[in-house]
Amino acid sequence: MILVRARNADAFEALYDGYHRLVYGVALRILGDVPAAEDITQAVFLKLWSSPDSFRSGNFPAWLARVARNRALDMLRSKAFRSESELPEAAPESDSLEDVAFAHIDAAKVRGALALLPQEQREPIELGFFGGVTHDEIARRSGIPLGTIKTRIRSGLRKLRNALDGAVTA
Amino acid sequence: MSAHDSHDAMLDDVAVYALGAMSPEDAARVREHIATCAECRAEYEALRPAAGALAYSVEACATGDNGPQVSELLKPRIMREVRSGMAPARQASARPAFVWPAYLVAAACIAIALFSTISNIAVNGQLKTAQTELDGIRIASTANARALDAERTTIADLTSADAKRYPTPQGAVVARGSKIYLAMHDMPALPKDHVYQAWTLPKGSKAMAPSVTFVPDTHGGAVLALPQDARLTTAVAISVEPDGGSKAPTTKPIAVVALN
Repeated sequence: MILVRARNADAFEALYDGYHRLVYGVALRILGDVPAAEDITQAVFLKLWSSPDSFRSGNFPAWLARVARNRALDMLRSKAFRSESELPEAAPESDSLEDVAFAHIDAAKVRGALALLPQEQREPIELGFFGGVTHDEIARRSGIPLGTIKTRIRSGLRKLRNALDGAVTA
Repeated sequence: MSAHDSHDAMLDDVAVYALGAMSPEDAARVREHIATCAECRAEYEALRPAAGALAYSVEACATGDNGPQVSELLKPRIMREVRSGMAPARQASARPAFVWPAYLVAAACIAIALFSTISNIAVNGQLKTAQTELDGIRIASTANARALDAERTTIADLTSADAKRYPTPQGAVVARGSKIYLAMHDMPALPKDHVYQAWTLPKGSKAMAPSVTFVPDTHGGAVLALPQDARLTTAVAISVEPDGGSKAPTTKPIAVVALN
């Protein structure tokens, strides 16, 4: 990132090569639309190039994934992309604290850990993370009590944490 | 509901907050609680990486059939914009100072050599073509020329007999007129994601003000000008700070010099 801040295009290209699949994958999962996911990927990386100081510290790929998720959720909520009737009642909060992530993480490892979760835990977690809906909305849509949804999310995240257990890196 | 049950419900809320699936109002409530509750803070810190890891589950594939593929056209599209310089210049309050690299000097030398060559070409009647080429070179080298001008000024100031030099363990702070320079050498390697940051103490103030951040070259050397006015500054310090700089020093300065 130091080289990108110094306007080094080669360094930026290396960053793109390393992380564009993560950005694109998040955007595509949230939006389900290839051109829109490409637009998000392009916007995220060009924003990184034009404002490299927007990443201050913490885990870079975790930060980049959060930026991609926020951008994709913004697009998901925009009237241009979906009709207003499909919008969630309240936009989920995305915190801005320093990002942390597991060291040595990869897609296969996370997919494997997710597959181990019972469906009743995996579904609200994926809906909350990729669907852009709040826990209240998940409970309303599923007809399951709010407290049960929250407990399932917590239990699922703890199992995920244990399955991915390893060093956490900032 | 007992106090234990109530707090257990709060821990559930913390998990939803870590997932990022809360309304802004609920999130503000949980965030406020986390700031004062060690148990909930620990739960949040334990679950947050797990929530963040979800993004990796959908990482796309570059090639092959195992998952979504990224269009090969996307990278050229982005890099074209990057390399064409269409992306606006970044803005930062504590941006890294410009350290004149060798390639700019080399580029300027090439430009000067081309200029001389083109002058000779004019003698044998090819001036018009050469002039067109020169115009392009002039445009391209404008930034280089500005950098060279600044470098010449720096060299003149640093070597001037009337410059005031304030030694530090890794070099010197040099003041001449309104200018302040850092001329550093053998600076220790920085920890990962950290930079050096200069600080200045304005006259009449008791608090250090942030100046530029910088990263030394591979030999630990750095020569840079601070934007502050030496006549209005009573001290200069250097500390190691997180990448991007800080608003106030977060580590003990490695050098502090008083200007007089």
